[in-house]
Amino acid sequence: MDPSMDIVPRICLDTSLHIFMSLGDPCDLARASCVSHGWHGFVVSNGLSKQLCLKMFPQLSGVDHVTESCSFKSDAETGSSNTKEWDVLEREHRVYGFLSHCSRSIADRECILDAISASSTDDFEEEGFNNTLEKRDRVGRAASYWSSKGQNNPAVPETLIYKLVGDLCVITEIDIQPFQDYFIEPGSPIYSAKSARFRMDDKFVWTYTSPEFPMAQASAALWSCYMENRLQEFKFPEPVLCIGGFLLVELLGRVQRSGMDGSFYICVSHVQVLGRPLSPTFGVEMIEPSGKFVLKALSYTKESLPESSPQQDYMEYSWDEEQDDSDEEFI
Amino acid sequence: MSSSSSSSLPPCPKKMITLKSSDGETFQIEETAALQSKTLENMIDENCASTPIPLRSINGKILAKVVEFCNKHAEVGVDAESLHAWDAEFVNVEYTTLFDYILAANFLEIPTLLDLASGVVGDMIKGKTPDEIRKMFNINDAFSPEEEEEVRRANQWAFE
Repeated sequence: MDPSMDIVPRICLDTSLHIFMSLGDPCDLARASCVSHGWHGFVVSNGLSKQLCLKMFPQLSGVDHVTESCSFKSDAETGSSNTKEWDVLEREHRVYGFLSHCSRSIADRECILDAISASSTDDFEEEGFNNTLEKRDRVGRAASYWSSKGQNNPAVPETLIYKLVGDLCVITEIDIQPFQDYFIEPGSPIYSAKSARFRMDDKFVWTYTSPEFPMAQASAALWSCYMENRLQEFKFPEPVLCIGGFLLVELLGRVQRSGMDGSFYICVSHVQVLGRPLSPTFGVEMIEPSGKFVLKALSYTKESLPESSPQQDYMEYSWDEEQDDSDEEFI
Repeated sequence: MSSSSSSSLPPCPKKMITLKSSDGETFQIEETAALQSKTLENMIDENCASTPIPLRSINGKILAKVVEFCNKHAEVGVDAESLHAWDAEFVNVEYTTLFDYILAANFLEIPTLLDLASGVVGDMIKGKTPDEIRKMFNINDAFSPEEEEEVRRANQWAFE
C-alpha cells in the first residue's frame, strides 16, 4: 500500500489551519471532521467551525456558551473517557457549524414582525409608524406612510425601531421607500432623508452599526422623482447577524420642506428587512448582567426554518403597484 | 566555470549558497532568492551557510523545483499577472508532488509556496465526501463503522 499522504499529522499547525480555513464552507469543515480520527481531532480541537462562524458573524463573540437540545452520545459511548473540555469542543463544532450552514442555505425573506416606535410622529391618526409595514404606498384612496414631526434644522435625525421575527436573524438587506406626496403638495415632493444607517442588537444596546448608506435623491426631472420614490435597496457589505431581534433605522438629514409650514419632514412609505430568520432552530438567552448570552441549538433539521421565499411574490406585487402609480386617480 | 568572467559589467558578486538534497544532489541558489525561506535566512544570519546545507527531508527532484520557485519569485520586474499564471502552472502537478511541495515549504518556511500549495489542497477538499478525501490522501486512521456512523450523525446536515 502506498504510504499515507495525510497532510494533517505531518505539517505544522499553522499550515493545516491555513488549508482548512481556506475551505470557507461550513459543510466542507463538517465533512472533513468525518474523514478520520486525525482530521476529526484537528477540526474539533482547533474549533475550526466556531472560527469560521465568528469570521462570518463577529456579533457572536458575545456568546458565553452553547447548548443543544438533543444528545449525540450513543449508548456505547456513555461512560466514555471524553473529558468535559472535549465535550464542549464537540458541541461547539456542531452548533456553530450548523448555524453557519443555515445562515447560508435558506432563502431571504421579510424579517419584520412589528413596528415598535418612531422618534417622532406628526399625526398618529393618519401618519402612524405602523403604516410603514404596509407594502403599498396607498390603501384605498388614502396615502399610507409615516411622517416625522417638522423641524427647522435639516440636520435633526429620526429613528425607527422594528421588532424582527426571531431572536436570531441574518440580515442581508434593508429597503426603504420614502414617501412621495403626489396629491397635496404641488410638484409631488419626496420627503426622503439624506442617508440611512442601521443598528441592531438586544435591549436597545446597539452594538452593530452599519455603514451609512446615502439615499438616492430626486432631481427636478419628473421621471427621476418617479424613480426615487421606489423602494431603495441597501445591501449590507456582508450579512449581519442580529441577536436579540430589534432593528433600529436611523434616517440622517432632511431634504424636503413642506409647503404648508416650511419645516423639514422625513416621511417613509415602507420599510422591509430581508434576511434569514434562524428561529426556531436556534435561540438565545441573555445572561444578566454580563451582557453575554447562551446560544442554543434547538434542532438539527432545517425543516423548522423557512425555505420558501415570500419575497419573490412581493417583487411581482410591487411591480403591479408601480404600474398603478402612474394612473390618474389622484390627479 | 565562472560565468561572471564573461560579463563586461563590473562584477557585483552575487552571493551564492549551496543546498544538498537527501539524495546527494547539490543546488546553487542566490542568497537573495534563498532569503524567501525563513529557515535558510536564519542559517545565513548565523553564518552557517558557507558550506553546502544538507536538507535530508527533501529529494533532488523537489529541491530543484523549490529552487526554481524561489528564483522566479526573486526576479525583479515580473508583473503580478504573469507571476500568478506562472504559479498556477507550477502547482498544476499530481497530488504526490504537491504534497512534497507542502512538506518542503513547511520545512524551509517559505510562506509564498506554502500558501500557494495549501490553497490547491484546500480546493481539492472542497465539495468532497469523507470517503473521497480518504482515498485521495490515502488516509489510514479511518473510523470504525460504528464510529463513522456516529460522527456522520452529528454532522448529518453536511451530507444532505
